Amino acid sequence: MSALSKTAAVIVTFNRSAKLMKVLDALDGQTLRPDFILVVDNASTDDTQALVEARARDDLSIRYLRLPKNVGGAGGFHEGLKAAYGLGAHYFWVSDDDAYPQPDAIEKLLHALAAFEVQHEWRPSFACSRVEWIDGTLCEMNTPRPVWDWPRFLHPEAAWALVDSASFVSILIPRWAVEKHGLPIADYFIWFDDAEYTRRLSRSYPGIFCPESRVIHDTPDNRGVNFGLVDEKSLWKFKYGARNEASWRRREAGPMGVLAYAYGVHLQMKRGNVPWKLRQEIFRAIVRGMIFRPKIVPV
Amino acid sequence: MTNMTALAPVGEDTAEHIEREVSEIVSIYSCLYPTQRLNFILYEGKDPIWGAPTVVEGPFTFQPAHVNAEFLGQFERPGAHPGAPTVTIMLSVPRKPLPSEVRQMDAPWVPIRRLRAIHRLSPMLYEKIRYQAEMMRKRQSPRRHPRISLLRGDGSSLFPGRRRPESDKRPAILIGMHWLEVGGAEKLGFDTIRWALEAGLRVFVAASVPSIQRLVDKLPDSPDVTFLRLDRYLPHQLWPRYIEKLVLAENIRLIHIHHCRPLYESLPQIRANVPWVRVIDSTHIVEYADGGFPRSSGVWSNFIDIHHVISKELVDYYRDNFHVIGKVRLGRMLDRTEHQAGLPELNMQPGKKRLQAAFVGRLYYQKRPVVVVEAFRALAAWAKRNDVELTGKIVGEGPFLDTVKALLQRYGLVDRVALLPANSPVPEILRDSDILLLPSNNEGLALVCYEAVEQGCIPISTDVGSQAEIVPRDLLVPLEPQACVKGIVAAVDRLWRDAAFLSRQREALVRSWSAITSDPTAQEILMPLYQEAAADLQE
Repeated sequence: MSALSKTAAVIVTFNRSAKLMKVLDALDGQTLRPDFILVVDNASTDDTQALVEARARDDLSIRYLRLPKNVGGAGGFHEGLKAAYGLGAHYFWVSDDDAYPQPDAIEKLLHALAAFEVQHEWRPSFACSRVEWIDGTLCEMNTPRPVWDWPRFLHPEAAWALVDSASFVSILIPRWAVEKHGLPIADYFIWFDDAEYTRRLSRSYPGIFCPESRVIHDTPDNRGVNFGLVDEKSLWKFKYGARNEASWRRREAGPMGVLAYAYGVHLQMKRGNVPWKLRQEIFRAIVRGMIFRPKIVPV
Repeated sequence: MTNMTALAPVGEDTAEHIEREVSEIVSIYSCLYPTQRLNFILYEGKDPIWGAPTVVEGPFTFQPAHVNAEFLGQFERPGAHPGAPTVTIMLSVPRKPLPSEVRQMDAPWVPIRRLRAIHRLSPMLYEKIRYQAEMMRKRQSPRRHPRISLLRGDGSSLFPGRRRPESDKRPAILIGMHWLEVGGAEKLGFDTIRWALEAGLRVFVAASVPSIQRLVDKLPDSPDVTFLRLDRYLPHQLWPRYIEKLVLAENIRLIHIHHCRPLYESLPQIRANVPWVRVIDSTHIVEYADGGFPRSSGVWSNFIDIHHVISKELVDYYRDNFHVIGKVRLGRMLDRTEHQAGLPELNMQPGKKRLQAAFVGRLYYQKRPVVVVEAFRALAAWAKRNDVELTGKIVGEGPFLDTVKALLQRYGLVDRVALLPANSPVPEILRDSDILLLPSNNEGLALVCYEAVEQGCIPISTDVGSQAEIVPRDLLVPLEPQACVKGIVAAVDRLWRDAAFLSRQREALVRSWSAITSDPTAQEILMPLYQEAAADLQE
């Protein structure tokens, strides 16, 4: 394990200043506080800039990166991770502007990464927290995906399951992983950027799920990512998700991979009784994903 | 100094000059190489500013070129012990400057050869071409000169950083300047020298750019102020090691950088070897071509503790380009004791039959002296049409002086526009003037605007840098040269005709002046830092 542990928190935000302030409060209260807190502002039009500036005047660890336009969560995490890498951090704690880490969340993640490496010699490519919704139940959309041998190193005293996919909600990524695998894909704009990135990182070694590190995700409702839930309001997000995952499937498994994915999506929409008009939109997005080949940018 | 007797037959003045310079040289290299055997090889300098130092660490072999016609001689400073390694330092002793050089070092400006005919035909066309070239550089600047801070590792707790050694010397500050010549950054530099002395610090001053250093006599006459002639005698690549040795030898607690490039380049050495030293820098103006010193400062931001800036534009610049907020401190270049409580009435009145316009500034391209003359020409035509008696005053010196004289002659303005030297009484001139013209290519926040406003003189400026913080929106004119001249005439015309407009401008000037004077001053920002350093050391 590395003897160096400078940590940068990367928070991407857009027009949610009140929640962002609660995130910054939660970071202030960490038992192991990040050396830098990089707030990536996706060109918010509310009072985010004024509030962050006021706070940053007294807190030298806060850095404020205001993007000229809203480039989505994916673009924000791309820019944020790039800037944090430039600050020389050895670990990047990446999270949303509405996720409040419990006081020891970051310390537990850091400890887990270091201890896992000491105990098992393998080097996890990330560590992710247990993400809970505001009522304490598991947050559906932030459920990590285990690998086939997920319990290989799982013990009662260190219940770290191996996972290859996690969301950008309280995830700790070591510098070497970013150096080796590059940055999240900015062109995704929104959805699947975290899944693609963590799966990419997992090529070196899977990440670990650390249930002892907890974070509260303050979303309006607790819904998972399931195409059976597509409606008029959420269609735009699902379209990005369908395009991005189709693109990734083509990259990783070729056209057959996309067909299998499309079939799965079809079944989910059928079970969810999604209107045909919306289904067509989703399938069109999958077709677009076939030719969508965003570049992976190295650091 | 075994061979110094060779200087004996030389005239007393020259010998004294050389001996004085040699003592500076020995002092610098003794600090850099405290234990080594130093072999100095001296040459007579051909110019008055640069010692062209070359340093060879290890055995040295003389070549024919080393004993050339300018060869003065050599001498040795013994090492700390007989086996001490040898360092050979070759340098020229600059001659004394000639009176003409003391007056003006820059050669008179001439247009570039290919465009000389264009300048003869139409100076404004030439200005326009130059303006377009500047704007092209501005567009290309972000690509050519990235705004990314250099990364700085803090190391591991396994290897604790170096600790400050005990010192019996009083705490000191090193103030790095660009040079000791006239300029806004230099004015602040001199102020900070004074404040540091007042705070109880010993002050070491260094300049990065070789020059006559005409303002050296303005340094406070105090045994606590030392001007190090690094600008003449130390190659830039040796600054980092020298600064480290100086910090240790002189108990330097603070370093304040005023546009001093080799001091920025010394920061890795400072952070690695003398990490307890606090570093402050002050910046003034974002240059179009490469971002200027604010960009350099941002690039080095992770090595600097506090960025002091003089305008809100720069606060935003650091935030937008380098994402830092907390360590950027706005401190205006104002002296509260010198500033009056309120503003006087404007000198200009609607329909006034006698108007005076002034320009105050160094005659360098940055101030666009050619556009100044063109503006006077256009204003003279306007005055003639409106039966107004217009006079003008141009206060300043610089390479454009001959060009300005020639243009005034060519446009028949010699009897109406007076050229005054830089040491003219600016407050009186502004008090007698109705309008201050400032058609600069770029500015930080021009000090002369403060002075003008306080004397009842209305500034009309190009909309560059932070000028909008003091000059009302209606009195800001475009940068493009022709539009700039037209804008100046239109603004003067409206001020002269429209009493309500004039009154609104006065209100706007009062508002912006009040806002600026309510911001902290540079002294209020910097003095506590100096005092803290001085107190810490005296404990």
